[in-house]
Amino acid sequence: MNWLLAATEPVVRLTPQARIVAAVLAVLFMLLILDLIRRDRLLERYSIVWFVMGLAMLAGAAFPGLLELLARALGVRDVTIALFSVVLIILLALSLNFSVIASRQAKQITRLAQQSAIETIDDPGGSVEAGGQPEAERLEG
Amino acid sequence: MKTLVFIPAWNEADSIRSVIEDAREHVPGAHVLVIDDGSGDETAARAREAGAQVASLPFNQGVGAAHQTGYIYAMENGYELCGQIDGDGQHPAAELTRLLAEVEAGHADLVVGSRFAETTTYNAPWARRTGQKLFSWIVSTATRQTLTDTTSGMRALNRRAMSLFATRYSSEFAEVESLQQAVRAGLTVKEIHVNMLPREQGTSFITPLNSAFYIFKTLVVLLVGQMRPRTPAPEADK
Repeated sequence: MNWLLAATEPVVRLTPQARIVAAVLAVLFMLLILDLIRRDRLLERYSIVWFVMGLAMLAGAAFPGLLELLARALGVRDVTIALFSVVLIILLALSLNFSVIASRQAKQITRLAQQSAIETIDDPGGSVEAGGQPEAERLEG
Repeated sequence: MKTLVFIPAWNEADSIRSVIEDAREHVPGAHVLVIDDGSGDETAARAREAGAQVASLPFNQGVGAAHQTGYIYAMENGYELCGQIDGDGQHPAAELTRLLAEVEAGHADLVVGSRFAETTTYNAPWARRTGQKLFSWIVSTATRQTLTDTTSGMRALNRRAMSLFATRYSSEFAEVESLQQAVRAGLTVKEIHVNMLPREQGTSFITPLNSAFYIFKTLVVLLVGQMRPRTPAPEADK
């Protein structure tokens, strides 16, 4: 089964320097999220996923074993490639999710605009059933 | 029958008055409603001056959203028959009466006025013509019936069709997709030949520049539409 496993070859790991940079960025990122929530710029609903991403970044920097585990699971020899692939997939899923949300909201906005348009009709008495258009009734009768 | 004629209009201040007067004259029993799709010009004011009621969308939402506003209004207010003509003056209201009569007679749930059902003198730019032929071919294939003018905004419909469109209606690919939607929902769609005039004012949103992209998008939309489940529209309440 050796042919299935890339792990038999030397693993490319993150350098300590890269881990420090990643940890600092993760902490800054989480602080930014907290600040956005504090200033009402981000709904809690949407903040959780980003906060979890920050935590995952921090975990990856603090425990390099996790990333190696990930790389082995994916059958990739280079830890950085495993990292990039996973992050890319997560971002793809997130942006698709946001497109779905945007589509739903666009529909809701259209519906609201239509309702408000119907309410702007100046003279509701003009509809035939309200008798505001005697001409129409005469012709129908 | 209680009839609504609605006129979707976006920046049609120059032509709206004559369209309203034309509709009033030829469909005398109908209530005329202009749906102003967030126009930046005087469309709404001119329409009121001409004596029509105006429903103003707060911002431009696209032709489909404007049509749907008409269907929702017609449903909510118990109209049994609904006709629509474009606000640019290319649809003579005299022709609309033939469409309305067809629906009233119960021959179809949705009747579309077609420029091409017979050969006419109507001349459109080649890019539009090509696009329309392509749409026609695709929609006809998809619906297994001949529909020659898939982008026509002159139609008449009954409550069954109104309720279908009030529930779901494409905002960007309004006319083309709704035909497919109607046929797939089990509605009877009929096309009759009408004479149309060249556009009085304004320009079509399908310009040669973006028509290729528009055609491509519509193809995708129709393809996806073919994959939607076929849900028969319920018989309309009377």
